[in-house]
Amino acid sequence: MLNILILGLGQCGNRILDAINREAFGSGGTFAKYYSRQKFPASVKTIAINTAINDLKELSDTLAKDRMHVPHLHGVGANRIIGKRVFGENKEMIMGEIDKRGSFDLIFIITSTAGGSGSSFAPLLAKELKQTYTAPIISIAVLPFREEGSIFLQNTAFCLRELVEMDAGGVLLVDNQYLKKYAGDIKSAYDSINTTTARRILFLIEALNSEMLMVTDLGDLKTVMNGGIGVGTMGFYEASKESTIKSAILGSFKPSGLLFPANVYEDGARAMLVIKGNKKFLDLDLITKTVEELSREVGQVFKGVLIKKGRPKVLSLFTLNSVPELEKLYAIAADAIRFEMDKKEQSKKRLDDAFSHIEDLEPIY
Amino acid sequence: MNNDRILAMLVLLLLISTSPIAIAAEGDDDANVILDRELEVGSGVAIEQSIKIEVVEVKTDIIDCAKLRISSYQKPARVISIFQGDSPTEYETSSGTSMYIKVLSVYGDSVYLRVTGPEDWRVTNYYTVESEEEEETKEEAVTIPKLDITRTFDTTVSEPGQVIAVTIKIRNTGNGTATDIVLDESPIRGTYKEDCPTTIEDIAAGETKRASYTLKVVDAEPGTYELSPSILNYQSESGVSFSSESKTSVLEITAAEVLLPAIEVSIDPVDSIMACGDDFPMTVTIRNVGNATSGIVTIKSNLPPDVQVVSGEDDPVYESIEPGESEEYGVTLRTHGEGKHIIDVQAMWADGEAVDTIEFWAEKSGLEQYYIHILAAIPILLLLFWAMKRRKDYSY
Ligand SMILES: Nc1nc2c(ncn2[C@@H]2O[C@H](COP(=O)(O)OP(=O)(O)OP(=O)(O)O)[C@@H](O)[C@H]2O)c(=O)[nH]1
Ligand SMILES: [Mg+2]
Repeated sequence: MLNILILGLGQCGNRILDAINREAFGSGGTFAKYYSRQKFPASVKTIAINTAINDLKELSDTLAKDRMHVPHLHGVGANRIIGKRVFGENKEMIMGEIDKRGSFDLIFIITSTAGGSGSSFAPLLAKELKQTYTAPIISIAVLPFREEGSIFLQNTAFCLRELVEMDAGGVLLVDNQYLKKYAGDIKSAYDSINTTTARRILFLIEALNSEMLMVTDLGDLKTVMNGGIGVGTMGFYEASKESTIKSAILGSFKPSGLLFPANVYEDGARAMLVIKGNKKFLDLDLITKTVEELSREVGQVFKGVLIKKGRPKVLSLFTLNSVPELEKLYAIAADAIRFEMDKKEQSKKRLDDAFSHIEDLEPIY
Repeated sequence: MNNDRILAMLVLLLLISTSPIAIAAEGDDDANVILDRELEVGSGVAIEQSIKIEVVEVKTDIIDCAKLRISSYQKPARVISIFQGDSPTEYETSSGTSMYIKVLSVYGDSVYLRVTGPEDWRVTNYYTVESEEEEETKEEAVTIPKLDITRTFDTTVSEPGQVIAVTIKIRNTGNGTATDIVLDESPIRGTYKEDCPTTIEDIAAGETKRASYTLKVVDAEPGTYELSPSILNYQSESGVSFSSESKTSVLEITAAEVLLPAIEVSIDPVDSIMACGDDFPMTVTIRNVGNATSGIVTIKSNLPPDVQVVSGEDDPVYESIEPGESEEYGVTLRTHGEGKHIIDVQAMWADGEAVDTIEFWAEKSGLEQYYIHILAAIPILLLLFWAMKRRKDYSY
């Protein structure tokens, strides 16, 4: 059985982690935790880390002992510089808490790239973990709504760069902006994005941990995550009555099922497919043929088949050679940073101008 | 006018019936009785040659009454109605002497009259009123028969199997002979007529004929039947057809009393809830609620397999039970089985069977009773502790 650690950083990371814990209780709803047991597909440890105690209190399905408060007022106010400093001051405590949970085969770090705490902790924590553990560290990075402001964009730009440069085990993107379509208001959009992300992570863990008909394992995952620029995302498709297994596989690469807008056929580096469902729907020859076809376009495609009840569900996970959407984001972010800088300079200049009026004067009493 | 009379008469009737002295005061008994007999309608009597009393009609309505035509020397005939029970009606002759006429009773077509008057007055003749005389008022002496039909039953209440004698009295009140008389009696379902004539011999004017038959009630439904009238179809001598009918009659048919025993069983039960392993007594009563003595009555009780008879009589047999009498026996039962038990006791006799059923619950005795509650409470408590612990685990 695989030992897996999932860390949720900052409010966004905490909430997605909480969603994972909730989903692990099955379909019992809010009260499931009072009578039911979590059914993780592997040995899973979770820790929610935040500087804001209120964000931790808000969680419902994560054990109290798995919520870790790094004291710094009420968050770091989206300031990554402060965030990094706070991490440095509390590094020992954080690592000590993680060490208590044993050893791991795979580590997930979930964070928003836009906030202060999560986005600044994540790269530093990845670095620390990389030094301590041999396990691959996959970052699940949540991109902000583009209209959330220049600071969030700027944070995202720097955070992502640091995560990629850290080269710990790859980054999987979840784009709030892209997934806004899930719901009308922000609150329910967050809820569905969190739940969707949680389910895919659990699906992946289940696949990695199970005896499979066609095997993918941790090694395959590592290989996929090392592909391209080490940045990718996940897709998903649940077969309808009519769809063949081929259309289900191809469906998992369709934009509608992705967590981040990407063109797998054009930019895909490596991919992994996990197919789960009733044996009668799973035509292995057709699966093999479809995956071969895909490999010609996408590059290396690993596949795993899990026999479970129900219609086929397909999870795709891939890395990209180039990420046009990210490039766009960086362009906007750069503009935003420059704009901020100009504004700041101008303000400073105006203030200096104002001060110059009293340059040679002394107060007289 | 008529109503007034009836009222006055009712008062009088009351007086008479309550004070016999009143009758004596009338001097009814002391006076010389000239006539004291029944006279048929259409007959007459002559007193002292010239005074004639003829019975024109009798009515048996609410109060019976007779219509009499009285005439005497130098006095034209006049018709008076005298009600039964009325005080004697005075009739004064032209010479100034009075006699008193009283109707004692009225029958279907006759009246019982009593006439009192002077000492030396006597009945000088009984006669039948000539029809010509009656028809005097009519312009022509055409002979027309007119049949009155009266139907009487010797009983008006009867039950199946009984025979009822029916009498039909036909009187020709016309002035011509009735011929080709056909009697039409409509039947009652469930009865049959025996010797019922359909044709009747010719009846001369003034003549009365009787016919009778028996009506046997076979299996008519109990109830009150209104019998449609007897219908007479007849002809005059000249061939003209006539028809007349009797009044309707009412016949009540009651249900026959059947003599049968009827047995009832009743179990005087134990409590409806008892403890397993405890004795519980049960009394069974077998009562004959019928109207005849029963033959052998066999008792058969059906107990669930987990109910045993500890003591007492088990399924007795009774030779016979008189009507209204009852037999009783007791048994003591015991069960170790928990839950609902049904016991029934059946009584069987020649004509039928009866059953009584009781239900009772047997519960675990004493602490055992709460065993299940305790058992149920443990997991609930455990769950509660678990839920509380969980709550604590997840509150930060
Ligand atoms: N998908 C998703 N995004 C969220 C959620 N909550 C916040 N975000 C996004 O996360 C970003 C803000 O980051 P947070 O995680 O709130 O910030 P933090 O890491 O707590 O840092 P500070 O609060 O600044 O200390 C914004 O882009 C939000 O849109 C959530 O529940 N789900
Ligand atoms: Mg926060």
